[in-house]
Amino acid sequence: MSERTDKTISNLLKLGSIIAGLVLWHVLAVYVVNDPTFLVSPLVVVHTAYDMLFVTGELYPHLFASGWIFFYGFALAILAGVPLGFLMALSPAVRDYVNPWMTTLYSTPRIAFAPILLLWFGIGGGAKVAIVFLGCLFPILINSFYGMRVVNRDYVELARSFRLKPWALFVKILLPAAMPFVLAGIRLSIGRGLTSVAIAEWFGATEGLGYLVFFAGQTLNIPTLFVGVAAFAVLGILGFEIIRRVEAFVTPWRKGSQGG
Amino acid sequence: MPRKEHVRGGISIFGVLVIWEILARLLLENELLIPPPSSVVRSFWNLTVSGQLNKHFAATLIEFAYGFSTACVIGVVIGYFMGMHKRFDEIMEPWIATLYSIPIITVVPLIIIWFGIGMVSKVIVVFKITTVAIILNTAAGVKNLDPVWLELAKSLRLSGWETTYKIRFPGALPYIITGMRLGVGRALLGVIVAELMASNAGLGYLLRDSSETWDSPKLFVTVFMLAAMGLVSFNLIKRFERRMAPWRQSAEWSGE
Repeated sequence: MSERTDKTISNLLKLGSIIAGLVLWHVLAVYVVNDPTFLVSPLVVVHTAYDMLFVTGELYPHLFASGWIFFYGFALAILAGVPLGFLMALSPAVRDYVNPWMTTLYSTPRIAFAPILLLWFGIGGGAKVAIVFLGCLFPILINSFYGMRVVNRDYVELARSFRLKPWALFVKILLPAAMPFVLAGIRLSIGRGLTSVAIAEWFGATEGLGYLVFFAGQTLNIPTLFVGVAAFAVLGILGFEIIRRVEAFVTPWRKGSQGG
Repeated sequence: MPRKEHVRGGISIFGVLVIWEILARLLLENELLIPPPSSVVRSFWNLTVSGQLNKHFAATLIEFAYGFSTACVIGVVIGYFMGMHKRFDEIMEPWIATLYSIPIITVVPLIIIWFGIGMVSKVIVVFKITTVAIILNTAAGVKNLDPVWLELAKSLRLSGWETTYKIRFPGALPYIITGMRLGVGRALLGVIVAELMASNAGLGYLLRDSSETWDSPKLFVTVFMLAAMGLVSFNLIKRFERRMAPWRQSAEWSGE
């Protein structure tokens, strides 16, 4: 079997699997369940998505509301996480003092902090941004720390023998070497950030994708619920791909690095 | 003589608690906003004595255990077949990838509509999260097996079953455990979210209950319980990983 036919068969199988699954879903929804408050056909979901995107346009305000919260939380997490991670890698004292808190906060299910942050910041934007911030922070922090720590000793030796100033050492050697890890951390935090947006909007919001999903769930509006879930999935995949492109562009010398 | 890093860690935790106590008592004097550690401890004691904490903790733990153990068995089996049969892998892949890319929290309302507000929906949430992680990692582990080992199996004339049991499974084990580790954290989050949204028991319920009744000490107790649960499960699985597969430090399917 040539490689080409093999590839064709593989693609056909994937396509067939998707079609078969959708048909099964349709049959199940229309002929077996037959209850629109329980399950609807994929056709209805696509139709609703089309309506919300192009006819009524009601998806956009939610998209923007969630987008802003995500953006602020995410940006703040990068601004705080990367320097702190570097600092922890370069100074053992900072590492030892921060470490117990980092481990504890990182392994606590994020949702636990939501009510507390809500108590402190109120139900406006502040608490939501804080929840997203906390969700994104740790992958970035840990990967920055790790990336800075595993910088090849030979590079540092080389820099020393060239008598580089500390600042030049940082900019020319340490930073580029740690970059792939930092970006991997940023990539990881996208999914976590989106989940955090949903969590944040579950606690008292009046717009946003998370609000859309939960409100649809409470009113048994299954088509909208599916559209909201799909929107989250699409955003997640999109963000992941964008960062992957950035990674390929910023660190072309390295292919696929993974940390923490 | 304790290690320096442990001393510093201890100082860090103790120091923050003391500062927190002082700040909360002297400056803020607002139990609602930031209860001092001492009232959190008192609330913890009261909740433990009345058996409330026990009850909710057990509920969460049972939901987690059911979902997690089923996911381990089913995930490993499906993942194994995906790793072994390329065609089966291609059929499953689009759906697994879809399931993987959906944030769990957003499907929780749907799962609650389908399976009710009882225990079943939480078990399903945990199951869904964990299986996907384990399937992907098991498949990667079976696929990435060093071909030399398979040749060894052939030259030793191992039967198909023996090859699976003695070569493929141990070879994939580090990956499987990594899948479990990835699953634990997310599943814990999932079960809490599900309990928070609709339930009558569990730590997630306690979280909601205490935040809706503005009982901050109780809220903090719940948060500490969750932190402890996360820490313990994380460390347990790490130790398990080191013990079961010491020859590989970390094997990761390069998806997330």
